[in-house]
Amino acid sequence: MSVVEIDKVVKRYDSVTALAGVTLTFADGEFFGLLGPSGSGKTTLLRAIAGFIKPDKGQIRLDGRDIGRTPVHRREIGMVFQNYALFPHLNVFDNIAFGLSVRGIRKAEQVSRVGEILSLVRLAGMERRTPRQLSGGQQQRVALARALVTRPKLLLLDEPLGALDKRLRQQMQIELKQIQREVGITTVFVTHDQEEALTLSDRIAIFNEGQIVQSGRPSEVYERPKTAFAANFLGDANFFEGRVAARGRVATEWGYLATNDDLPPQGQPVMLAVRPEKITIGPAAPVGASLGNRLTGHLAQAVYSGMSTTYRVTVGAREVIVFEQNRGDHVFGPGETVSLAWLPTHSVVVTP
Amino acid sequence: MSDAKPRTWTVIGLTAPAYLWLAVTVLLPLSAMLFFSFLTVAPFGLETPALTFTNYLDFIHQDFLHTLTERSLMLGVWVTLCCLLLGFPAALALAKHVKGRWREALFLLVVLPFWSNALVRVFSWTMVLREGGMVDRLIHDVVPGAPHLDLLFTYWAVVIGVVHSYLPYVILTCYISLQAIDDSLLDAARSLGAPGYKVFLRIILPLSVPGIAAGTILVFVPVIGSFMEPRILGGPRSFMLGNVIEDQFTVVFNWPLGAALSFILLGIVLVVLAACYPFLRKNLQGMA
Amino acid sequence: MNRVWSLSLRIYLGLVLGFLYVPIVVMILMAFNQSPLYELPIVWSTVWFENLPLNERLIDASINSVALATANTVVATVLGTMAAFAFARYEFRSKPLLRLLLFPPITIPWLITGTSMLVFFFWVGIGRGLHSLLLGHVALSLPYVIVVVGARLKSFGPVYEEAAATLGASPWQSFSRVTLPLMAPGVVAAALFAFAISFDQFVISYFLAPPGQTTLPVEIYSAIRKGFTPEVNAISTIIIVVSMGLMLLFARFYKFGGER
Repeated sequence: MSVVEIDKVVKRYDSVTALAGVTLTFADGEFFGLLGPSGSGKTTLLRAIAGFIKPDKGQIRLDGRDIGRTPVHRREIGMVFQNYALFPHLNVFDNIAFGLSVRGIRKAEQVSRVGEILSLVRLAGMERRTPRQLSGGQQQRVALARALVTRPKLLLLDEPLGALDKRLRQQMQIELKQIQREVGITTVFVTHDQEEALTLSDRIAIFNEGQIVQSGRPSEVYERPKTAFAANFLGDANFFEGRVAARGRVATEWGYLATNDDLPPQGQPVMLAVRPEKITIGPAAPVGASLGNRLTGHLAQAVYSGMSTTYRVTVGAREVIVFEQNRGDHVFGPGETVSLAWLPTHSVVVTP
Repeated sequence: MSDAKPRTWTVIGLTAPAYLWLAVTVLLPLSAMLFFSFLTVAPFGLETPALTFTNYLDFIHQDFLHTLTERSLMLGVWVTLCCLLLGFPAALALAKHVKGRWREALFLLVVLPFWSNALVRVFSWTMVLREGGMVDRLIHDVVPGAPHLDLLFTYWAVVIGVVHSYLPYVILTCYISLQAIDDSLLDAARSLGAPGYKVFLRIILPLSVPGIAAGTILVFVPVIGSFMEPRILGGPRSFMLGNVIEDQFTVVFNWPLGAALSFILLGIVLVVLAACYPFLRKNLQGMA
Repeated sequence: MNRVWSLSLRIYLGLVLGFLYVPIVVMILMAFNQSPLYELPIVWSTVWFENLPLNERLIDASINSVALATANTVVATVLGTMAAFAFARYEFRSKPLLRLLLFPPITIPWLITGTSMLVFFFWVGIGRGLHSLLLGHVALSLPYVIVVVGARLKSFGPVYEEAAATLGASPWQSFSRVTLPLMAPGVVAAALFAFAISFDQFVISYFLAPPGQTTLPVEIYSAIRKGFTPEVNAISTIIIVVSMGLMLLFARFYKFGGER
């Protein structure tokens, strides 16, 4: 449906820079996630796209046209707010039909389109209910229906699942993704929940302090973070600092570590990030020589969570976190000496 | 978070009518009166007025006015004290010892008389307090030989009438403050070993200071300007500064003097407001 | 110990309530008392109510009061709502100052406000009369209307208007279809408040009302000072019932004590 281009957008509030020159493109039909801590600028960007905020510099283009001067109500967007913002004085039908009625669309057509969209979100027959009578999940679907019924070019979601409990959230994530695929609308959403970002997005962008730290497909960004911030924000990571030694190895206080990534020249400092789930934990005997990286340490703590166990292993002066799926293997206890190993391809070079 | 940078004209268009009205009816009149207070005579008659300090100097020289001012201030003090002493426990009862629908209903009942006509209520007190009135009769029903009680036209009648008028104000402001105190704070204090009176002194009382301060202002300021209650309930022996001012405008027609006295009264009010401001600063955001 | 304390506090509250209602109850009882001199015991009669329509001065004053209060309600509610909307939805630098300017009418003793209005109106030729009364009453009502409507607007934030905008509603459509309906209870409450303020207003009316064009409270005052007729009791009862009735309605539209 539509392509959105964000071109070097800057927004400042007095001494605070909310957006420091952000450039991004949302492809047609893409489900794009903006992820970052609070105050990172992701919500500012969303609201700038919606039109509530006017950038100080840069352009926002929808299908090639600069929409900077277009007022909110003419931008042909649909938006779902964090707490849904369903009009309390209107019932479900009137809420959803609101966008149609302000455009002067005739009642008969309103009825048919509202019915159509209610079926899409699986709430057929709820026209007469009031928002107060709906559950959180139902309100969310009505909000979505309301935003979509006007057939906008772009769908904006502000922390769409934040107000729901865990089980409902997981269910809604699947539904949301299905609906978006069915309708095919370009969608941008904001979240601080990394799991949500990974599940829903076709591509994500990680924000920090008004800038995009990294963007790309979720698997790319997750497996190959470029900075320590990205590695730590999206998932967990163990960091190893050292200096580049000969033959693609890094000299650290715990020995030599191997990586498959490009390294800076020999002698330069470098930081490696290793995800906890990539590390294999085993008894103190050396693990198979096929795994290039090996450390020995003492188990400080084992946190059992049903599906998995998270180990904290003291190696020298620091702690390494290891995440192991529960396959019924031997569970290690505190104090035990253990061996940690992982493949060189899983040592990622990151900028601190 | 949005650019609520309005078309300035929209804001002006929305606020100007109300504020222009206020300017014409409050600001300008006050300025006019300030100007008047420096004139010898009102500029309506045949005499051309001259600028003078006489009106203010009169106040400084005339003992009679000092007495009255003192009397008005003392009335303010007494009434405020009575209102606080009577009202705070009532507010406490309502805020912390009554729950659910009762609380709303009782709150409404407390505030309701406040919105009936003040004049009518004061007048009603005359019937209650005078000789042969309710109180007198009640006492006689109980103790037949007692002397007649004529409370009307005494200072205390004025106090009772005024306290009655302004009591709801104090209950209201104290209630708002007290109700905002989270019950869990009190529970926490008790779990830490504090006995009841200490919880009151060290938690409840300090946290209700804004309410008490607001109530004080809402009572003291209008009371020192009272003229209606003193006249109806107090008679000639309870003449107050407010009555002198009233007379300047309705009987004596010495408007410049009335203006000067009004501003002296206003000056006192401002001093009181300034003194209470630090206690109120936090709460002022919520009030307006 | 706690229970005893709690119980005694509640009994105390009951006593305070009783105190607050003494004059009202007395007034109502006396209005139905046949004796023109308030002699007890009470002989039940509605004679004073029946005599009311005959007292021309009181009836004229009543009509004035109602007309004035109605006009006051319309003007103050419209002007105040506009200003309240500007405060709630826009940011501008003069906001703190303007907020502060709302206080003088409420904090300055009405005696001073009333006399200064008298002085100024005479000076500029507006003089006394129902029109001056209207000027004065609206000035008193405005701060209350702004506060009441403002509180209601604050309670639901700008998010509904934002949602309406994203759905394609122009600013006017957004205001008329979303803001106005949501704001309505607050506006109604403010209107009732404004009516009650004007209807009960004594001090300002006292200074600004010329003979022949008085309002009810002013008329009652002169009657009291003269040593009046008992019809005043009857009309006072009516006034009290009306005012309290208005306030009950107000409370329905604007829940006190922050329980919303």
